[in-house]
Amino acid sequence: MRHVIIGAGAAGITAAKTIRACEPGAEIVMISADTHVHSRCMLHKYLSHERDERRLSFVPEDFFEEQKITWISGKRASHVWTKTHNVQLEDDTVISYDKLLIATGADSFIPPVGDFRKARNVFGLRHLEDAKQIDEVAETAERVLIVGSGLVGLDAAYALLERGKDVTVVEMADRILPIQLDETAGKTYQKLFEEAGCKFLLGRKASNTVMDQTGSIRKVILDDGREISCDLVIVAAGVRSAISCVESGEIAADRFIQVDEYMRTNCPDVYAAGDVAGLSGIWPNAMKQGQTAAYNMCGRKVQYLDRYAMKNTMNFYGVTTLSLGKGAAEEGDEVVICEDSRSYKKAVIRDGKLDSILLQGNMDYSGVYQYLIKNQVDISEKKDRIFALSFGDFYGIAPDGQYDYQI
Amino acid sequence: MKRIMIDQAKCDGCKSCSIACMQAHRTDEGTVYDLDLTDIHNESRNHIIEMEDGTYRPIFCRHCDQPECVMSCMSGALTKDPATGHVLYDGTKCGSCFMCVMNCPYGVLKADTATRTKVIKCDFCIDAGGEPSCVKACPKNAVFVEEVVL
Amino acid sequence: MNQCFGCNTCKSADKPLETFIKGLPMETSHHRVDTQKTKCGFGLQGVCCRLCANGPCRITPQSPRGICGANADTIVTRNFLRAVAAGSGCYIHIVENTARNLLNTAKSKGELKGIHALDRLCGMFGIQEKDDYARAEMVAEAVLADLYKPEYVKMDLVEKVAYAPRVKRWKELGIMPGGAKSEVFKGVVKCSTNLNSDPVDMLVDCLRLGISTGVYGLTLTNLLNDVLLGEPELRLAPVGLRVIDPEYINIMITGHQHTIFVDLQERLTKPDAVAKAQAAGAKGFKLVGCTCVGQDLQLRGSHYEEVFDGHAGNNYTSEAILATGAIDAVLSEFNCTLPGIEPICDELKIKQICLDSVAKKANAEMMEFDFSKREEQSEAIIDKIVAAYKERRGSVKLNLLPDHGNDNTLTGVSEGSLKKFLGDSWKPLIDLIVSGDIKGIAGVVGCSNLTAGGHDVLTVELTKKLIAKDIIVLTAGCSSGGIENCGLMTPDAAKYAGPKLRAVCEKLGIPPVLNFGPCLAIGRLEIVATEIAEELGVDLPQLPLVLSAAQWLEEQALADGAFGLALGLPLHLGLPPFVTGSKTAVKVLTEDMKELTGGRVIINSDAADSADILEKIILEKRAALNI
Repeated sequence: MRHVIIGAGAAGITAAKTIRACEPGAEIVMISADTHVHSRCMLHKYLSHERDERRLSFVPEDFFEEQKITWISGKRASHVWTKTHNVQLEDDTVISYDKLLIATGADSFIPPVGDFRKARNVFGLRHLEDAKQIDEVAETAERVLIVGSGLVGLDAAYALLERGKDVTVVEMADRILPIQLDETAGKTYQKLFEEAGCKFLLGRKASNTVMDQTGSIRKVILDDGREISCDLVIVAAGVRSAISCVESGEIAADRFIQVDEYMRTNCPDVYAAGDVAGLSGIWPNAMKQGQTAAYNMCGRKVQYLDRYAMKNTMNFYGVTTLSLGKGAAEEGDEVVICEDSRSYKKAVIRDGKLDSILLQGNMDYSGVYQYLIKNQVDISEKKDRIFALSFGDFYGIAPDGQYDYQI
Repeated sequence: MKRIMIDQAKCDGCKSCSIACMQAHRTDEGTVYDLDLTDIHNESRNHIIEMEDGTYRPIFCRHCDQPECVMSCMSGALTKDPATGHVLYDGTKCGSCFMCVMNCPYGVLKADTATRTKVIKCDFCIDAGGEPSCVKACPKNAVFVEEVVL
Repeated sequence: MNQCFGCNTCKSADKPLETFIKGLPMETSHHRVDTQKTKCGFGLQGVCCRLCANGPCRITPQSPRGICGANADTIVTRNFLRAVAAGSGCYIHIVENTARNLLNTAKSKGELKGIHALDRLCGMFGIQEKDDYARAEMVAEAVLADLYKPEYVKMDLVEKVAYAPRVKRWKELGIMPGGAKSEVFKGVVKCSTNLNSDPVDMLVDCLRLGISTGVYGLTLTNLLNDVLLGEPELRLAPVGLRVIDPEYINIMITGHQHTIFVDLQERLTKPDAVAKAQAAGAKGFKLVGCTCVGQDLQLRGSHYEEVFDGHAGNNYTSEAILATGAIDAVLSEFNCTLPGIEPICDELKIKQICLDSVAKKANAEMMEFDFSKREEQSEAIIDKIVAAYKERRGSVKLNLLPDHGNDNTLTGVSEGSLKKFLGDSWKPLIDLIVSGDIKGIAGVVGCSNLTAGGHDVLTVELTKKLIAKDIIVLTAGCSSGGIENCGLMTPDAAKYAGPKLRAVCEKLGIPPVLNFGPCLAIGRLEIVATEIAEELGVDLPQLPLVLSAAQWLEEQALADGAFGLALGLPLHLGLPPFVTGSKTAVKVLTEDMKELTGGRVIINSDAADSADILEKIILEKRAALNI
């Protein structure tokens, strides 16, 4: 049995480990454009020079040997031939498979603003390769413009502020981290970034660019006509699934590869997991999807059930935040807010159940909230102490000593 | 694997386990007498929750069979040791994202108070021979080690 | 299956005793050390506060203050002051009863065995009266008058009893005590809920309590006892469980108030009483010494040879003494009467009678000592004990340990008897110190506990290390009981001393460890030190003298310790007194105290390390004196 996995990110690596655990004797081949296994969530630490590429890895150094995996790195898969069970690489090498997992992830989306897509000093921050290119330009660049104040944008801003750059962040919304945080929580981080020297231009879009003869953008023109001089542009305006290898094939895909609850595509023996499957862009979910796909590839029927994806954590300048749910209150919702000098907490309770929660400043022991939201646990009798809930409230112990929610 | 079993009915909330844990993980040398109880660097990996009815709920890492913390770790810092079953944490790898704190369904984990860069996580006292200090300190045997099938 | 109750008994320096206890068919405190071995870390550090309904509050990194806002310093020092005040109260209770008994005896023209001691007290107090009874009354009244003064009126006798340079320093520090009972009162008020929060202020109060405790509870109690009961005289005496003679009706006495037994111990040897014992099948009555009142009896044993069998053991030997089965009654009037003796007394049908309600034991008969009814009470006690003897002997199996202890422990050492032995002068001792034959003096005092290595383990080990360094050891308290049973107070023990001290001991025929008796006799050590200092013309902190309460146990020991610090002496403790949670308290006690009084606390649970530290201090003091 030969399992082929395209992609060495969270989903691909987790799948490989899971397959190895289930089928010690199976052949596993991994194909990745990346030449180093790396955690995308830590690329900013590479940019800030806190970590080198080796320390971006999330697997042990001897992972491929130890797990007996053949790793074809630095190569993209260009086609998947499902009828013949073959994967064709960009150099036309053909690898046959019995089971295939496509976990190619996603690439940065560069919007067609001015010469963004042409310029040589405009980058996304998605792959180690991106980070390396940014790092090179940053050697000489002083003024950095970051488009987008989501987590990737702020990660990039943090890293370049650490390196003493003049950083400006342009954000379409009227606040930073608009998807994860409300205004109050966003302000906390905005202030911390501003104290570190960052400038924010909120409620503004980049509408055009001025490029010099060398192909570098020198100015970005905003929708209010304002011109921002820059030596380096980082675009953090979202990602697009990396589906090029299935575009010409039989595998059903629109923006994402479509999968069922077993992470199967419409083609036999072909699975997809992680960002490419479009179910969630969150690391833990990608790992679970990779694990689920792997179980099914090994013949164990396991459904992907843990689908809750409206979750994130962040940690800038020592302030940690947990954000679960959309955070937007609807009519009839109860919004509980608790704020003090050290923390900001906000919960949205809908029909006696927790819909969203935001904990900023102190997120110690907060793991229970995801469980409560995802399982829509009725907390109507406990809602007056919503921020004091703990597993103690649902305490149960299974015979094997593991905890077991009592609801 | 060996797991710290919990008999919560026996717990008196004395926090001997927490002090023992702090003592076991302090960075300087010394005895429990000079353990600095006001130093935020000394943190317990376990904690006790007192309920409104006066009973106590010990919150100790279960070293779960399917550890959600490991399944959220983007740096490879958290791993489940296939041999011992224990969920281990390598602070040098940790990316300080605290997704594990979010993902532990039982609210066992926290960020370290002093630096907010590390996760406070039970290590089963492997450096001290693997007999967890909390278990040794419990005057009621409310926590005890048992071999369970993984 | 072994008949023993549980073999996890703690260690004892006294190996035969350890083996004996290990094999007992009943539980003792030595067994419970194991099941109590898990200690609360907050308690150990003194940072648990339950002074109010918001508590208990405990200090942790997440909660550095209690709900009220008290930090570790406040919580620790409040707890500490409370303990010192309680300990002081205990000693003040003892001196109060002792003075009352002397007063009542004088008024009723009873026997005063220590006229020399009375002379001394009158000299100190400036009493010119001729008649002994009148003088005794005046002495007792002077003491009582001071004890009953309000806190805002200074006591008169402190200046008359204490060493002048010390009094001067105490006045500079503003720690001269008011009425001793009121000082206790003020102490407990001060550390109550939401009152004082100043750690240094409370620690200074501990010193004030230490002075009233030491001068009255210790020094004066000894001298008052001497007037009534006779002064100590040097003699060799048997110690240990061997002193128990099953042919007699045996009464174990526990407590600290020897004067309560004056009438009884006389009555027990009267022919009619002996006849009652004989009618029951015994040869007569014997008092078996235990705890500090036993040490007191031993100290004055030359006056009571007929009724006193000898000292069997200290506080944590009491259960073993009872377990021999040969004790018929326990008469208790104070601590250390362990609650753990009760089930043993029940099981072995041992009659328990309490003579002071402060030490009322749950299943003991209460017979509050009343001086005016002392004769009837003695009769009643004798009858009850005889009844108990008849009831129990024959049905209770004896489990004696006749080889335990030794026959030739030097006892009866006091400031008076020692000076007399030296030829009515301290000069010979001073000369030996100056010449370096005796490097220095260590008072190994206070209690025994079971946790500093085990029963008497640290005390005995430390004592051995000290004498090996040519440092002569003087003991007072339960430490005496442990050390004597381990044989270090026999003249033969000179062999354990360093070569110089050994030579001195062998020449004089004395052991290298001198037994001053009960914890009260810490006051006698203070007199010795004071008289030596006086002769040298120096203050106490300058002497090559250190104190160790290596196995301090209780609140009284903390009050004693506060006295030691007020005297300006280095004080070693084997275990910290629940203060280490406060950086301020630790700093004040271990460092700043040197500037305040000259004293300091040293905490170390290792015998060798502790001996090295104490030796170093002695050498520093010698160097400063140019000797």
